[in-house]
Amino acid sequence: MKGIELIKKAMRLEEVERIPWVPFVGSHAGALLGMTATEYLQSKDNIVKGVNEAIKLYNPDGIPVAFDLQIEAEALGCQLVWADNNPPAVVSHPLKDGVSLNDLKVPCPCKARIPLVMEATRELREQHPDIALYGLITGPFTLALHLLGTDIFMQMMMEPEKTHQLMRFTTNVALMMAGNYIENGADVIAIVDPMTSQIDPMSFETFVSPYIKEVNEFIREADALSSFFVCGNAKQNIEVMCQTNPDNISIDENIPLDYVRDTALKHKVSFGGNIKLTVVLLMGDEEASRRDALECMDIGGKKGFILAPGCDLAMETPKENLVAVSELVHDEMLQGELRASEAKQMDLEKLDLSNHWDDSKVVIDIITLDSSSCAPCQYMVDAVDRAAADYGDKVVYKEHRIKEKEGVQMMMSLGVQNLPTIVMDGNIEFISQIPPINDIKGKIEHYLSNKN
Amino acid sequence: MEELFEQLAYCIEYGKINKPSPFPPDMKDKDGADEITQQLLNEGISADDILQKALIVGMEKVGVKFRENKVFVPQVLMSAKAMDAAMAHLKPHFANSPGSQKGTFIIGTVEGDLHDIGKNLVAMMVEGNGYEVIDLGTDVKAEKFIEAAEQYPGAVIGLSALLTTTMNNMEEITKAIKSHNRNIAICIGGAPVNQDFCDKIGADSYNPDPQGVVEFLNKTVE
Repeated sequence: MKGIELIKKAMRLEEVERIPWVPFVGSHAGALLGMTATEYLQSKDNIVKGVNEAIKLYNPDGIPVAFDLQIEAEALGCQLVWADNNPPAVVSHPLKDGVSLNDLKVPCPCKARIPLVMEATRELREQHPDIALYGLITGPFTLALHLLGTDIFMQMMMEPEKTHQLMRFTTNVALMMAGNYIENGADVIAIVDPMTSQIDPMSFETFVSPYIKEVNEFIREADALSSFFVCGNAKQNIEVMCQTNPDNISIDENIPLDYVRDTALKHKVSFGGNIKLTVVLLMGDEEASRRDALECMDIGGKKGFILAPGCDLAMETPKENLVAVSELVHDEMLQGELRASEAKQMDLEKLDLSNHWDDSKVVIDIITLDSSSCAPCQYMVDAVDRAAADYGDKVVYKEHRIKEKEGVQMMMSLGVQNLPTIVMDGNIEFISQIPPINDIKGKIEHYLSNKN
Repeated sequence: MEELFEQLAYCIEYGKINKPSPFPPDMKDKDGADEITQQLLNEGISADDILQKALIVGMEKVGVKFRENKVFVPQVLMSAKAMDAAMAHLKPHFANSPGSQKGTFIIGTVEGDLHDIGKNLVAMMVEGNGYEVIDLGTDVKAEKFIEAAEQYPGAVIGLSALLTTTMNNMEEITKAIKSHNRNIAICIGGAPVNQDFCDKIGADSYNPDPQGVVEFLNKTVE
């Protein structure tokens, strides 16, 4: 199934055959091209090239066009400081420096770097019709902070009506950006509002909810999907975030995924996250990346979950780690093997197999993920079934599903490493590939000849 | 008198700056930190007593509530503003007896990182808990931390970083400070940082919240 369809299904809370995966590639794509964040984020051609490189390497179902929360601020006159290995930072806050809100206008989409990301969206849309394109917009509260600085926290308390005026303005900017992204072909509008992690649910409901609801409705009317991103510990606000009716929320590793899953599904909102951005993806290795991704997938499940890193990928994230996650996502067999090896670390006891063998019969054990959901497993079980048919009660076979504890124990006890595997009288005979029936029969003959 | 201490601590905890301040709404037209501090001084209470028995008590409560996710940045900022209003009355008294502060804390966001919200919050809470705070700002190089440490012997250094990419600078700065004088205590914090990272780079303390920094200082500076 096409990536975009998987994402749409997940966002509609329909069961998916495979969990969709959206690596939040921003300036990291610049690193893939061997250039600085400044060179990368200031050129449409580089962004298109970088996203293409990321698509080639990471085989994603969806991907952001650009992850840069300073685009709107820049167009509104905030000064940026550019860096080699980070997105730029906002260093001046016009409303704090004497500019009045009345003097600020919603920028023309022709201003600053807005046309650059819109053109990139259009080109990527043409090149990748099957991948969900995420248009990232600066959330209204975070944009308000860019404009006013941290004074906004005090203003909320002392002059709430002024904060509402500011939020009205930043929401108009968000609507302009969302509309333009959708026009240029974005499928999902991600409202990225990390600063909301710093406020309490009551302040969120007062100063953020009405505006986010409006943006979500706007996106829905335009037949696009909305995702509310928040980085940082916003556990207190998950509930109120869901109540703004987005199609999806996406969170980072600061918030336990099971809590987000339960809260989001209660409100019929899909959810995404939260592979650990730094300790695992940036500093860990492929093994750690796979394990963390698997844990997320096992908690998230196949209904309403989108696998993603917690937030914008650090520029120097080793690409091997993301390739490892991508391979895991697309390989259910690998997931099963990894799950089994995790179980091994949980100190499961090996089985006592002394009564398992038979002096007069060939005992065949087939270790599978689960033949009812994994096609190769099913073919392997069928092949054994057909090969054994000619031997009547001289051959007994049993499938051991590693989705069950017994299956994992059997896998350990027999020393099996891969899935699916056929074991005959305790000897590993066929791994992964489905053998021809005659090959299985040949082996059965061999073992039978050893019996009394 | 006890009652006034309690009232003042309450104003700090709930961020009631002064009488005209509209926040919190349920304390409308009541005296705030500004008025009550003046009243206490008028009654001859020492600045140090006011600091210890009311202001620090209130700040500590906010710190604990912040840690427990019961209040968030806006509320803590209001408490800090109330604290500022009270301290404005007390500072002239402290100027004559420099020994009254618990110790000195040097804080800055590390080189390459321009984010200051987390750093400012920690600075406010630490100051509110009776320490002198030397705020070196953002994008601070190792030499600047070392220079400040020379100027304030016995001070503890706090390093802040928001970006994953500047965590490396945090490591370099920690190593530079420690190789200059390994007795200087360093604590670190910021969104991408954790205890593992703290151990790895050889810093002395990692704290996920400002109150943790205050507690580390209370243990270290004695």
